Amino acid sequence: MPLTGLQIFKLLPNTNCRKCGYPTCLAFAMKLAAGRESLEKCPDASPEARAALGAASAPPIRGVTIGRGERAVTVGEETVFFRHEKTFVRRPGLFRILDPRGLSAAECGALLNDWLGVSIARAGETFRVDGVAIVEAPGAPEAASAAARRGFPVAVLAATPEGAASIAEPIKDQRPLIVPPAGAAPAAYFALAARLGVPLVVAGADLAGLASAAAAASSAGVGDILLEPPGADLRSLHHSLSAIRRGALDRVHPGLGHPVFLRAGRGEFEKAVLGITKFASVLAIEDHGGETWLPLWTLRQNIYTDPQKPLQMEPGVYPLGEPDSRSPLLMTTNFSLTYFIVSTEVEASGVAAHLAVVDAEGLSVLTAWSAGKLSGDRVAKSLRQTGAVDRVSHRTLIIPGYASPISGELEDAMGDGWRVIVGPQEASDIAPFFRDVWEPMRAR
Amino acid sequence: MSLELKPKKWAGAIRAVTLGSGSRKPVTVGGGNGLPLHTFEGVFPHRPAFALEITDVDPARWAEAARGPWDGVLGSPAAAARRALREFGADLVMLHLCGTHPDRGNRTPEEAAADVRAVLDAVDVPLIVKGPGAGPRQNDVLARVAEEAKGEGLALHSACQEDYKTLAAVAVAYGHILVAESPIDMNIAKQLNILLADASVDMNRTLIDPLTGGLGYGLEYTYSVMERIRLAALGGDAMLNAPMICLAGEEAWKAKEAKASSRQEPRWGDERRRGIHWELATALALIEAGAEVLVLRHPETLARLRTQLDCWFGDPAPGGDSCR
Ligand code: B12
Ligand code: SF4
Repeated sequence: MPLTGLQIFKLLPNTNCRKCGYPTCLAFAMKLAAGRESLEKCPDASPEARAALGAASAPPIRGVTIGRGERAVTVGEETVFFRHEKTFVRRPGLFRILDPRGLSAAECGALLNDWLGVSIARAGETFRVDGVAIVEAPGAPEAASAAARRGFPVAVLAATPEGAASIAEPIKDQRPLIVPPAGAAPAAYFALAARLGVPLVVAGADLAGLASAAAAASSAGVGDILLEPPGADLRSLHHSLSAIRRGALDRVHPGLGHPVFLRAGRGEFEKAVLGITKFASVLAIEDHGGETWLPLWTLRQNIYTDPQKPLQMEPGVYPLGEPDSRSPLLMTTNFSLTYFIVSTEVEASGVAAHLAVVDAEGLSVLTAWSAGKLSGDRVAKSLRQTGAVDRVSHRTLIIPGYASPISGELEDAMGDGWRVIVGPQEASDIAPFFRDVWEPMRAR
Repeated sequence: MSLELKPKKWAGAIRAVTLGSGSRKPVTVGGGNGLPLHTFEGVFPHRPAFALEITDVDPARWAEAARGPWDGVLGSPAAAARRALREFGADLVMLHLCGTHPDRGNRTPEEAAADVRAVLDAVDVPLIVKGPGAGPRQNDVLARVAEEAKGEGLALHSACQEDYKTLAAVAVAYGHILVAESPIDMNIAKQLNILLADASVDMNRTLIDPLTGGLGYGLEYTYSVMERIRLAALGGDAMLNAPMICLAGEEAWKAKEAKASSRQEPRWGDERRRGIHWELATALALIEAGAEVLVLRHPETLARLRTQLDCWFGDPAPGGDSCR
């Protein structure tokens, strides 16, 4: 529980010496309680005061890192229940379950290479398989090592403590996450995770059981803990996920202040959706297909962006393909989703083009226009500043169909013999537009 | 040690709104006094309701995967409505009069009224009627429809801040529910409801459409705006406590990711299931954020959501809150 101003005040020297910049210790304490000041500013604060305040200001949910190096996944450190309060910060790691049963080492390797190659760019982010969750079975230690060698963070879906040890020990430096099976006696897993110094998932039949299991793991020397929430169906799962987050933020029990681990078995798409929206930090997903992963990646992207601040592109001129001075010049706004859609469609059309991205405060075309961020003057100025006007010799600018109301004023503002052509409304119609409008026009 | 979290109690609650009257079997939504789906601490007398979208003319732009289940009845609203109910188990039907748009068929208000009549005769569930979109045509069409279906408690979709007077008047005059649409903006949602209340619309007969952005295309905004509308309602704001309706199907199936063929995008997996997942993820996230009337396109999305929510709002198994 955060300390109140009065509680903090009692820990301060109460000399009102003003060295902190405040007239009284109480005034300073109030600022501290509101999180607007740091205790560092009081040179005379006692070690006890520092310790007490430190504990109270530690993040309510601890951070945990799985894996090492460029692909390492760090989760936890969330501070809010609702994302409008202060954005969710640590995107959950989406792990793909690999069951080595029936696969040769070569087949496992090929699968892992395939997963390693997954890289889907979408609106300023690259979707990848974040990690691999290996099912304990013959061949699992080899598969785990193969995954770790490729840089994947690894989770070990254990069946026995001995099996878990045989998979995790050889790659312990890569910080694998050990996940005991449902209902397992925890002691042997505590010992294993503590000995290897790797993160561990703990479970419990209910919230109290879960919290005390986490506390017990801590005392057994496990440094990094994830919680597997109880719940056989979406309702009970939602209950435990919400209660864990609320309990952690309210600091009702230290055992709840850890990130959450969830498995979504075959066909359990709904469960994964719930996990991503409601606070899960690592998901082990059994289905492998793009039809499962693409929506989940996208959902994660949506939930973990700041709803106040759209993802923005740097204004400028972006070459698509290898355009020259005779290639079409298109204009759009600096909302990254808009850029992403338009650039994808232009690239798919096979026509090399210059795409000028103008500063519209990160808004989509229609939104920017209706918010008055897309006036002729503003666009013309941006096109000049970014040098877009110098990229082509034909002095023709193609604007989005939804920006048609500004075509006249924009042409005026551009001057110099510039022509403004209104393109299609939907980016998906750009290819036919190039073919039916742009090409004939250029031929003339 | 025992670990009891204090249940959160709120000053306000969501209004209960009943769709359908006259010859309709009514469906009530809303009435809950907790955060969405927080059945462990709030009381929810009604569960979210599912509508399927049917259209007056063949919706040529619908994705192949969304058209499939409607094969043979696209553009035949009465037959589609029957299928929505009998085969697909919808609670409600939304008739989208897209063919009345000047550029999409230009059907007249008279024709629209006939379509609505045909659907009313074909099924006995409440009807949501969506016009061709903001503009003068919207009012002409919906006013005529409202008159035709007097006393049937239609949900008229939709009135907006710039243009609400006509629809407010006809909703009051002919006994319908009015959907108040605001572009992902809590303040506009509230302002519009104040305007509607001033125009004598009964606040127990409105729904809020917070304007849904589909998965990947605005959900990041919608989700939080809806959460904030819910929090305001539970805090006691009487101008924001109407149940929310979301056209999840329409928004989800607009996405390129829901439509692209597996041939075009081999990494994106099976296209039929991808579209359904896109709609499912959109709809489930919106329910979590507070949606209580979901308008969907694919019956399989509806069936899967139904399975989850039947469990969610069903009786708990003895000795726990698990429902299986
Ligand atoms: C999400 C959203 C928002 C978000 C902003 C998101 C953002 N970063 O822009 C928020 C919530 C902040 C918002 C605010 C507002 N919004 Co708004 N918003 C939307 C929504 C739901 C989706 C917009 C979106 O992201 N579209 C996706 C992007 C990719 O589309 P796009 O940029 O237009 O790009 C497409 C095309 O234009 C084309 N294209 C783009 N560039 C180019 C270039 C060329 C050359 C070509 C050929 C094509 C092309 O390709 C793309 C794909 O086809 C729309 C409704 C809807 N469903 O469309 C309303 C909408 C745009 N908003 C609207 C309004 C009125 C507003 C507000 C003024 C009102 C308010 N709510 O307060 C404010 C203004 C913001 C401000 N700062 O003051 C109205 C606009 C009405 C109108 N016709 O003018 C809409 C249409 C909703 C409605 N029906 O009322 N909004
Ligand atoms: S510096 Fe420390 S002792 Fe001096 S007034 Fe500030 S809080 Fe009090």
